[in-house]
Amino acid sequence: MFFHITLERNMQLHPRHFGPHLRDKLVAKLMKDVEGTCSGRHGFVVAITSVEDIGKGLIREGTGFVTFPVKYQCVVFRPFKGEILEAVVTMVNKMGFFAEAGPVQIFVSNHLIPDDMEFQSEDVSNYTTSDGSVKIQKDSEVRLKIIGTRVDATEIFSIGTIKDDFLGVINDPGAAS
Amino acid sequence: MSSFEPFNRLVRLAARAFYDDITMKGDNQPKTGRGDNRGMTVVVLDALTRRQWVREEDLAKALKLHSKQLRRTLRFFEEEKLVTREHRKETAKGVKIYNAAVAATADGQQPVKEGDEKNKMHTHSYCCLDYAQIHDVVRYRLHRMKKKLKDELDSRNTIQQYICPNCGRRYSAFDALQLVSMTDEYFHCEGCNGELIAESDKLAADEMGDGDDNARRRRREKLKDMLQKMEEQLKPLMLQLARVKDLAVPEFGGLLAWEARVHAAARVTGDSNASDFSKSSQGQGYGGTPMPFLGETRVEVALSGMDVKEEGTEPDTKSANVKVLPPWMIKKGMVLTKEQRGEVKHDMKSDQSSYAIDEKKPGVEKEDEKNLQDEYFKAYYAALAKRQEEQEATSRRLREEAEKYKASTSDLSNGIFEAPYDRQVGMKSKRADDENDDVDWEEAVPTGNTGETFKLADLNAQPEASGDDEDDIDWEEG
Ligand SMILES: [Zn+2]
Repeated sequence: MFFHITLERNMQLHPRHFGPHLRDKLVAKLMKDVEGTCSGRHGFVVAITSVEDIGKGLIREGTGFVTFPVKYQCVVFRPFKGEILEAVVTMVNKMGFFAEAGPVQIFVSNHLIPDDMEFQSEDVSNYTTSDGSVKIQKDSEVRLKIIGTRVDATEIFSIGTIKDDFLGVINDPGAAS
Repeated sequence: MSSFEPFNRLVRLAARAFYDDITMKGDNQPKTGRGDNRGMTVVVLDALTRRQWVREEDLAKALKLHSKQLRRTLRFFEEEKLVTREHRKETAKGVKIYNAAVAATADGQQPVKEGDEKNKMHTHSYCCLDYAQIHDVVRYRLHRMKKKLKDELDSRNTIQQYICPNCGRRYSAFDALQLVSMTDEYFHCEGCNGELIAESDKLAADEMGDGDDNARRRRREKLKDMLQKMEEQLKPLMLQLARVKDLAVPEFGGLLAWEARVHAAARVTGDSNASDFSKSSQGQGYGGTPMPFLGETRVEVALSGMDVKEEGTEPDTKSANVKVLPPWMIKKGMVLTKEQRGEVKHDMKSDQSSYAIDEKKPGVEKEDEKNLQDEYFKAYYAALAKRQEEQEATSRRLREEAEKYKASTSDLSNGIFEAPYDRQVGMKSKRADDENDDVDWEEAVPTGNTGETFKLADLNAQPEASGDDEDDIDWEEG
């Protein structure tokens, strides 16, 4: 799920940036530092939308670096248990398959794949129904349900299932080609 | 009327299945034996199956419940989506309107209380069962129950555990990214690089169960047991759901619409009919306006239509039995009389196409009647052409008459006079019966089977209703 939230961060700026463009430098650095990172608490920071406030800088002893408290708004993405996501399959093996929904990695183990889908280790390994009508392989798009997430300080990993109503392949790259 | 019964049964079953152990307690009431009113919910639901829209005060009185207690119960059912409630501010006049509606339903259990509040506005609450929603709610509830048990049984939403057979290390699916091997399709132990196996497979493979596994197995047993019990105990409910599935759901509509409808129905059917309603619906109040049930009574019609067909296979029995009129004969009747033409529009239109059928049909008939039939056809076509001109003029007037006729005869209670169609058929049949000679039979032969079977049907039921059509004489002569 996406959220638009306000976060705070203390930015350390090298003295060489002090000058007329200090603020721009600060914002650029903020984006570089924060966007694409993951915090266990808030999820992935997708994009900074605005900088609300930059507080007074504090010069650190010894280094000359200045610490600015920065308040910024950003869009974050965090998967939740029970959430339905659409994801792209990145890897298929006998144990299940991996998929990505944006920055989130999801693993769907084979017991959470419908029973009528069997693993086929052809040149492109895949899960296929007995009649061959549905196939999951690399780059397939699937709709899945998150049944668990592990949130580390820097990483969120999810377990998904496609063994439920209306889940499974939503497009088949093999069929298009 | 009858359409309520399956749904009422559904409500009663659902009440006993899901609500018989629900207590309606106020927060301040102690949990003593006296406060234990389990089962009251069932009583209230049962009472509602015998009513339609009912004022909650009246219901409370009828059930000898405190109105507050009843209201709490009804509020609960409203949340459960079983009951629709409406609140309205009304004066004594509004109460009267409702009372009149209740009287029209001839529900003896409703005390007709004159509003003594004169012009003061009071808020009154009304409630009734929402059959359509009940149907959905019950089905959804069963679905959720089953799904929850099955999901747990299949450990569908559990995180897969993996075990290394060599060193016994355990992993969960969350570690999957670290366990992936680039060389083959399996997960590998981080410690010894052994091939991991999914835990459930291991469980099946060997029974070396530690305490954990035993607990899980016991839980599985319990779930299976629950699922089985559920299937057993709720079977009547599920059967009833299946039975009700394709039936039209009875709906009362909003309170105002319902009142209006009941009034209209009462006016049309008159008092005697109203009492009929109440009898047939066992005092559940107004059994529905006549119109919705027209379709249902058609069932009987179809049956008798079949009878007619069977008997029609031997048309030479014509002599005696009035009731055994083959379908095509009835058709004929419709075409013949001007009056009937006017009323039955589509039959008129189908006249043209029916010629062809006319000609084929006689072939099926007995040989000795052939000549008569030929003569008959000649006369018939000639007369028909003439008649068609006439009918254009008369049809409109006749249609109006038909409307009146319909209104006056829409007596549902005996199920015979369902619609003007039947009536006309009846007339014709009588007439045919009266003449009762060969000519008459040939007459009956042609004019295709354009009509629906239900028209045929009632012919049997009401031979007396004849005599209106002088026109027939032409035909006999022809
Ligand atoms: Zn190992």
